[in-house]
Amino acid sequence: MSGFLRKTAVRLLLAALAVGLIFGVWNLVIFAFDLKAYALPTPQSSVAAIYDRWSTFQGLTVQTIEETAYGFVIGAAIGFLLGVVMSASKVVQRLVYPALITSQAVPIVAIAAPLAILFGFGLLPKLVIVAWVVFFPVVVNVLDGLAHVDRDLVNLARVMGAKRWRAFVAIHLPATLSPLFSGLKIGATYAVTGAVIGEWVASAQQGLGTYLQTANASLDTQGVMGATILLTLIGVASFLFVSAVEVIATPWRTRSTARRRMRPAAPTSVGHSDPETPDRKGARRWFGSLPAAAPRGSRSESQSRPR
Amino acid sequence: MRKYEGVDGGGQKVVVDDVTVRFEGALALDHLSLGLGKSEFVSIVGPSGSGKSTLFNVVSGLLRPTSGRVLLDGRDVTGETGHVGYMLQKDLLIPWRTVVGNIVLGAALTRGVTGRDREEAAALATRYGLGEFLDHYPHALSGGMRQRVALMRTLALHTDVLLLDEPFGALDSQTRLDMQLWLLSVYEDLEVAILFVTHDVDEAIFLADRVAVMSGRPGRILADLPIPLTRPRSLDVLTSPGFTELKREVLGLLHKPAEAVPA
Repeated sequence: MSGFLRKTAVRLLLAALAVGLIFGVWNLVIFAFDLKAYALPTPQSSVAAIYDRWSTFQGLTVQTIEETAYGFVIGAAIGFLLGVVMSASKVVQRLVYPALITSQAVPIVAIAAPLAILFGFGLLPKLVIVAWVVFFPVVVNVLDGLAHVDRDLVNLARVMGAKRWRAFVAIHLPATLSPLFSGLKIGATYAVTGAVIGEWVASAQQGLGTYLQTANASLDTQGVMGATILLTLIGVASFLFVSAVEVIATPWRTRSTARRRMRPAAPTSVGHSDPETPDRKGARRWFGSLPAAAPRGSRSESQSRPR
Repeated sequence: MRKYEGVDGGGQKVVVDDVTVRFEGALALDHLSLGLGKSEFVSIVGPSGSGKSTLFNVVSGLLRPTSGRVLLDGRDVTGETGHVGYMLQKDLLIPWRTVVGNIVLGAALTRGVTGRDREEAAALATRYGLGEFLDHYPHALSGGMRQRVALMRTLALHTDVLLLDEPFGALDSQTRLDMQLWLLSVYEDLEVAILFVTHDVDEAIFLADRVAVMSGRPGRILADLPIPLTRPRSLDVLTSPGFTELKREVLGLLHKPAEAVPA
């Protein structure tokens, strides 16, 4: 366990170092090109601006986070469902895929304006834009995951007499998880950009994006950089959040045993209680009379196993 | 010409009756007939591409033959799945399921897993030497252990016919021998009929009651040799004169001069 703590500490230290490096380069650029504060404020003064104006920033940040989070969830859900539906039918896939690619080729800024006309200036157009950028990596990755389920495993399921729905739940659905999270991580970082664009073209309420715009117009560069730092933080936090969920949702990738443990097999539990139910008979047929852990099984690796 | 016609009972568990499989003109199996008795262990050896896996796909119901039938307990089950246990060289364990979770896969795919299934799986794993690994994910197991789990998954289906397609083919020779001994112990415990495909002549003879030798494409049964070695079998069998004699015979059939030339 202490090994785990040390690893975590090292990682955090490196992450802090990376942030320090960014701020260092930032300062270096200002120094090297002799940039004035109205052109590019130092990171220190930008952070200070966040601190000084926190009462303003707080509400804006919440607003933008909401747009990002809701849009992200909607986009991810649509992307996932679309991926599953498309994988079910080659025809649907060939029909829908070009439309998907087209949707991403269209400059998002260009369609943001018509979206505002369609959906007004409330939350909706922002959600649509965020979902628009999020769903694509999700669809592509889910489709990929479903397409790469081992053919032999599918055949094995068939030989076992699998019901279609059960095979989907037990084999196909979990196979999408890892690629799904890859898509979600990409989507999480894009989502903030979507929210900002949404605010720029269609905003009645203030968010960090709108603030950025007005601050920029009034040459308030500290405000611009402050908002930018906050937006970046939202993006990074989203990514980290999705990564954390991934670790919890896919334990087999990081752990060697399941979190929920099976009781150690009590040899007496089979064939002992309620003696003559037919299933017990079945079990006995398979395991013989069970003083389990028969010595023969303990051949080979059983002696020299890890741990 | 149906060799096994009418022998529906006849002690045969599985009858492959005059099966022909043609893939877009290419003949994979040519009027192949083979019987598998109740609790009998039959090995199938043959050169690569002789249609051994095709035969298994037919018996398991994955592939409907161009002509011919598959009988199980005398009943025509051609093209029907869900009757036999099937295991491949690839263990095909599901990475997100634990050892127990993988063993109960059959139940999960057909009717839903009950507590009893899990108990049975745990008892099975414990009996055959994986008791400490019930909650392990497959990636944390060695190749031999994974193959054992794969076989237990096959056993947990409670079918009395097992098709094992080179199950130990990917293992190193030491582990492989361990697994063969282990399989023998499992087989001697259970009343199952096993059809076992392998490239390894030693393995084929060591395990089986009969060895069926297949020809190169199109697949036919060249010979069906009884293996009169007594059970239970131990490692000593491998070096006995009787074993060597049988091996000579099988190798002779596999490497007939006329067929060796094109390769």
